[in-house]
Amino acid sequence: MNINKILGGKIRILAVAIPVLFILFPFGYSAVASLMAGNVNDAPLFLEKADSEFEECVRDATYMRYHHWELLRYVREEVVRYGKRGDISLQKCQDCHKNREKFCDKCHDAVSMTPDCFECHHYP
Amino acid sequence: MKVAGGTIFAGVSSTYAFRILTTPGEGLAGDEIVTTGHRWGMVIDLNKCKPGCTACLDACRHENNVALFGDDRWDIHWIRKVGLHKKDNPGVGEKSILLLCNHCDKPPCAQVCPVRATYKRDDGIVIVDHHRCIGCRYCMIACPYNARSFNFRDNEEWPNKERPKRSHGVAEACHLCAHRLDQGEMPACVEACNAIGAGAIYVGDLNDPESNVSSLIASNAVKRIREDLGTEPKVYYVGL
Repeated sequence: MNINKILGGKIRILAVAIPVLFILFPFGYSAVASLMAGNVNDAPLFLEKADSEFEECVRDATYMRYHHWELLRYVREEVVRYGKRGDISLQKCQDCHKNREKFCDKCHDAVSMTPDCFECHHYP
Repeated sequence: MKVAGGTIFAGVSSTYAFRILTTPGEGLAGDEIVTTGHRWGMVIDLNKCKPGCTACLDACRHENNVALFGDDRWDIHWIRKVGLHKKDNPGVGEKSILLLCNHCDKPPCAQVCPVRATYKRDDGIVIVDHHRCIGCRYCMIACPYNARSFNFRDNEEWPNKERPKRSHGVAEACHLCAHRLDQGEMPACVEACNAIGAGAIYVGDLNDPESNVSSLIASNAVKRIREDLGTEPKVYYVGL
């Protein structure tokens, strides 16, 4: 005797629907969660504001947010290898971003980064 | 676009993803390459060097955060005083000399470094890139002057916050205060020696025949340590 005949075909719908729902659940969950969280841009400011007379950093904020480490690494090579001591250094960052715990460490902690810059370079 | 977290992230990553392939700091590092043209060398006048004086040693420790743990096994020396005596006649003609990295023209430490952390800059300064050093200590074995030290432990003291210290596990040696020479200043040991009025240490450009070190080398009988090894050191001693 065939099981399809007993359940009148409903088992087929369930057999497709349950895995599909299971797969789609994370997408739906994150969509609902982001709707509940509201607009990303309205989130309160996370880092301490720079304390300086300058309007802007050496690059725009989005670039600095994602790629400041590339900049620092590039300048590091230039300084150590060729002595090109210019306007970018961890010392110069301190002129505006005075507190490491309220600036560097905020994001690094949030994304579980442990850069070893500060083992050797002083940042208050 | 309320579900826009993903959209924003995708936009950002495509905008900036290809920056990795370019030079990110172009125009922001200093424009001038300061390492060409010069060939830094040092002359130490042992006749003027005062016995028992440690002004240059202390200045170096303070300037570069050179660690002193109080234990011979771990102490780090960039510059030190070494006593010399004659093998056949001990007690006669004893003298002490300043021993530091000789900044060889053919540096054996740079030749053996497997990661090219130690290298010779174009101006002749032999320098360790501590970011790149893996702590294998080949350079310490290769150096015939025993001028290198290893950080067996972390240095807690940090007298000069302007300058970095070194973390546990890297080799280090005198870099002739490259950060000062790049900005046109003299190394800390030279300034300290001049400040106490001895003036025994001179640093200058060996390429320039008019410079203080060139004229001292021309007018005095200078010696270098272990010239027979062919490392071509650039620290010259007067009165050795």
